[in-house]
Amino acid sequence: MSQKLLFRDIDEPGLNTIDVYRRRGGYENLRKALAMPREAVLNELLASGLRGRGGAGFAMGKKVSFLPKGSMDVYLCCNADESEPGTFKDRELMQKNPHLLIEGIIIAAYAAGANKAFIYIRGEYQLQADILDAALAEAERAGYLGESILGSEHSLSLVVHRGAGAYICGEETALLDSLEGKRGNPRLKPPFPANQGLYQGPTLINNVETLATVPIIIGMGGEEYAKIGTETSTGTKLVSVSGHVKRPGNYEIELGIPAREIIYGLAGGPADGRRVKLWFPGGSSSPVLTEAELDLAYDFDTMAKAGSMLGSGAIIVVDDSTSVVDVAYKTAYFYRHESCGKCTPCREGTNWTVKMLERIKAGEATPMDLDIMASVCEQIIGNCLCVLGDAMAMPVGSMVKKFRSEFEEEIERRRQEAWAATTTPEPELPLIQGAVA
Amino acid sequence: MPRPEINMITFSIDGREVQAPENMMLVDAAKYGDVEIPVFCYEPKLGQPVGACRMCLVEIEGIPKLQTGCSTPVKDGMVVHTQTQRVHEAQEAVVEFLLINHPLDCPVCDKGGECPLQDISFGWGGGRSRFIEPKRHFQKPLELSPLIAIDRERCILCYRCVRYSQEISEDYQLVLQERGAASYVATFDGHPYVAPFSGNIIELCPVGALTSKPYRFRARPWDIEGAGSVCTMCPGQCNVTFTVRDDRVLRVLARDNKEVDDGWLCDRGRFAYQAIHVDERITRPMVRDGGELRPVSWERALEEAARGLGRARDGQAAALAGGGTTNEEGFLLQRIVREALGSPHLDSQRAPVSREALQAISDPGLQAEVADLEFAHAVLVLDTEPVDDMAILDLRIRKGVRRNRVKLAIASARPSSLDPNAALSVRFAPGGSRAFAAELVAAARGEQAGEDARAVVELLRGAGEDIVILASERVGAALAMLADELGLRDRAGAGLLVVPSSANGRGLREVGVLPDAGPGLRPVAEAGRDAAGIARGLADGELTALWLMGVDPLRDLPNRPAWERALDRASTVVAHASFLTEGIREHATVVFPAEAYAEKDGTLTHPDGRLQRVRPAIGHQGESRFTWQVLNDLGRRLGIELRVLTAGMALAQLAEAVPFYAGLTQDEIGGRGVRWQTRDAAAAFPRPSGAIPVPVPRVSETLAAEAAEGLRLGTFRSIWASPEVEHSPALKFLTPKQKVEMSPADADRLGLRDGQAVQVAQNGHAVSATVALRHAIPAGSVFLQDGLEEDSANEIAGSIVEVRA
Repeated sequence: MSQKLLFRDIDEPGLNTIDVYRRRGGYENLRKALAMPREAVLNELLASGLRGRGGAGFAMGKKVSFLPKGSMDVYLCCNADESEPGTFKDRELMQKNPHLLIEGIIIAAYAAGANKAFIYIRGEYQLQADILDAALAEAERAGYLGESILGSEHSLSLVVHRGAGAYICGEETALLDSLEGKRGNPRLKPPFPANQGLYQGPTLINNVETLATVPIIIGMGGEEYAKIGTETSTGTKLVSVSGHVKRPGNYEIELGIPAREIIYGLAGGPADGRRVKLWFPGGSSSPVLTEAELDLAYDFDTMAKAGSMLGSGAIIVVDDSTSVVDVAYKTAYFYRHESCGKCTPCREGTNWTVKMLERIKAGEATPMDLDIMASVCEQIIGNCLCVLGDAMAMPVGSMVKKFRSEFEEEIERRRQEAWAATTTPEPELPLIQGAVA
Repeated sequence: MPRPEINMITFSIDGREVQAPENMMLVDAAKYGDVEIPVFCYEPKLGQPVGACRMCLVEIEGIPKLQTGCSTPVKDGMVVHTQTQRVHEAQEAVVEFLLINHPLDCPVCDKGGECPLQDISFGWGGGRSRFIEPKRHFQKPLELSPLIAIDRERCILCYRCVRYSQEISEDYQLVLQERGAASYVATFDGHPYVAPFSGNIIELCPVGALTSKPYRFRARPWDIEGAGSVCTMCPGQCNVTFTVRDDRVLRVLARDNKEVDDGWLCDRGRFAYQAIHVDERITRPMVRDGGELRPVSWERALEEAARGLGRARDGQAAALAGGGTTNEEGFLLQRIVREALGSPHLDSQRAPVSREALQAISDPGLQAEVADLEFAHAVLVLDTEPVDDMAILDLRIRKGVRRNRVKLAIASARPSSLDPNAALSVRFAPGGSRAFAAELVAAARGEQAGEDARAVVELLRGAGEDIVILASERVGAALAMLADELGLRDRAGAGLLVVPSSANGRGLREVGVLPDAGPGLRPVAEAGRDAAGIARGLADGELTALWLMGVDPLRDLPNRPAWERALDRASTVVAHASFLTEGIREHATVVFPAEAYAEKDGTLTHPDGRLQRVRPAIGHQGESRFTWQVLNDLGRRLGIELRVLTAGMALAQLAEAVPFYAGLTQDEIGGRGVRWQTRDAAAAFPRPSGAIPVPVPRVSETLAAEAAEGLRLGTFRSIWASPEVEHSPALKFLTPKQKVEMSPADADRLGLRDGQAVQVAQNGHAVSATVALRHAIPAGSVFLQDGLEEDSANEIAGSIVEVRA
């Protein structure tokens, strides 16, 4: 069924070393790309139809072609700040096959005309950053980085930059601010990073998986790659399946297969006797889907049509043992904690939503609070500076909408529980001698 | 960077076709169609919009999401809706979001009544809140600084103050701590936010989170009146609005004038108004009687002054003017001194600059405007420290460098606070500015010159044609030659901006308060003595009477020992003063209460030639009177009828006497001022004829003194060194103490350490100071502060000093 591209050799022992990587054909595609004219490489990327794997799903080749031409410094940033709850595919890729990413960055930089590249890696990924550092040193020694790579005119310096643990720094413009040494807050767009990004220069920002796919596309040819998957969602995708499944983990799938095949086929489905209550198709920021939507094709367009999104490809499965209120609370809590505070709707809206959910949990809410919550979520969506606010409002809003009756039952149940806990039984009147009854 | 061209386009807003400048942000363009889009975080003065508050969301046809009007440049044919259901809902939601953590304590909030949050909640909010959860709590109010109180619960986190600190004043002190709903504004290191321009954040704050401590709980917006005027505390002459309640000034706000101040004020300009209403201020005339100054009636004081000055007729009287003396006052003063007392001895300058030199540097063909600093290709700051000498220009220069990539060159003796923004900074030895300027002229002519001078000229020429030279007046005639050599004559957007030594220095010299020039810089039959000459004359007994207007020579002028001798011998010292500083207290025989600037009526001339009106905001406190009235009365007693019954009449006389001010009226000057160079009368300016001799650079002047000779002394007057600061309760804490700034190399050699108490001595005179080590100071130079009440640098007359423990 599935063709393994990114994960072809993933369990090969020692793949993180340059020797093993090269033995398995590594850096050959770089050689091939550098022998091609820059435009030809770009054309291959365009032909492949590769869409960004970080969450937004924007066509990668198109992004490269947006970079202005001219004699200014162009930057490439690899977004390795994989912080979305449920997403852990880049971690495995960087840990086990760092050279694939490095090769991809070099080729992408060549196509983009960038001479300075950065890997902005999540602060918690210490092991992976160490592995990348080591791989970088190997690649440099082997002449794949630095001045005139493999005798071509392409030069590239590549630096691994470790983040400091803020989810928002995965947002591309906040990432740039953080990389520049500032507080990691999103910037206003436009200007988009392709025009004015790092240090005001044109900047290409791509996810780890996207860049790691680049050598594969060069290897097999863009058109060949485009034959995999569906027409608008080409290629394979790494999916991180987590939550209530028997075999959580990363799986490489061809885009367009039914979601049921991933959740039940690959990951084994929920524990025996349990049913899927809801699932996040693309990380915790995607609107939730229900059991009834398990047979939808897992690709960008189908998920969007279903009112959700493929996002980073992180499927979180929640079975019927869990209350939807707890799922909503956990989700909202995360985004309140990570909101940078720059724009009003996200800063105040996430905070307000959490407080309302806390009230539901404490048994102090009424169904009217659900209306307020829905309206708060509605006013966050689309009105924020970046998409972090949406990332809370969309899943929580979808839960309130799709599981309204369960919310109402929970409100009532917890209200009664709270009432029972605070109302102590009336003490019997003590008998006082001489008292008149 | 020349000013951008403006191209008008047509767009549609709420169904109406409106013309507006292309690429103007929608919130501003909307105003062309009388549509208001509410904003909190947007403030064009702060640079690029950030789109943080989301209040200005509007609908634009063709764009699915609502857009922030503050960050969307208007384009031709754009169709904008601000009144649709969708926009209303979004704006209402933002107001609701902003208010959920706001304490709504408007009845006890200083901002109440003039609060954008109130106004916008009223205009665009839903009028109700569905938020029943507990609000965010902070300890409050806290001192952000001794001048500013911060109430973090009221803060709506609009980022304005933080952006101001980061991008305008560039002191980098304010930051947002924590994140999300827990964010709060604080200083980076937790220390108080003390900076020369900190007070501007009070005006920037759109809620009551940042309030002025001196103004806290003093008035509500409905019991105050605003009165527009001009600050007279430095040559910057920023436009201000006085907040007046019950005939007292309670607050000073900026009155945005792009041509002068760009809408900012320094903290001295903002808070020193307090000195108007302190008990120490002189509000009654005084006469020395039995060795002590005693309050007397105006009649008596005028009589005494007339008698004393009258005795010194026939050239034995002299007058000095400075501070905030208006053109009218200066003009009347010189009339009395010249016409009634028959004396040519008048001065208004700290360092002598000849009439020919002043003519050359005031030439209308060579004048730059303040706003040119922002749009020039290059700016040279020569022998002046903007933050101390003309504070507001500091912000303007930073703006030019930051936003328009102006190339900045600094040539000074003392390291400048603008050095980090400069493309090139060069140092010369203290006192070497004239020599260095001559070197610059030589370098510009391609003649032999030092490396530093060549580098500066190369940088300026390399940057482009529009060059602005901001220089101290004391540099003199070489400035004009340099400007000519650089091709700045008659070039719009380029030229000289000369910083005089007192707030109205330019006006005073143009109305004739100079020893060698009458009104309009006309030559006089017999040149009088300059300030230093007057001191000598008094000490020698050749002069007997001294008239001081807004000057205390012991404090404001160089060479205090000479002035002490002079004042000791003077038989009559008539002073117009606000405070009993030492020279007045010990030596004045008659003291007239000087007006506070909020009481004055008159005009000032800005260093770029802009005449501005100082208008009375309050009545005279105590028994003080208009100075022009005092001069009129005194003139009559000395035998001259000045015929001045209003400030306007004095202006009319002055406009008649100064050919290039001809026809000026108060109406023409108006609220924004008028540059005389732009009027037809400017043709009457007496352009210099023939070449002005430029001093030949002497190498020894440009080099730091050899260690064997001692250390070369430079002086500077801090922005905080003024009686107004000392007498304002809120600013008092900033009163500078004497310190000697020196290089670590010299300190090592002399065995001194930072903070050590030392004596800086020369020829028997010594000043106590503490050592302040600064790495940027070239070895061989030391710097002391001028203008202090005690241990001021002017106690030392020479230029080579020794520093000893």
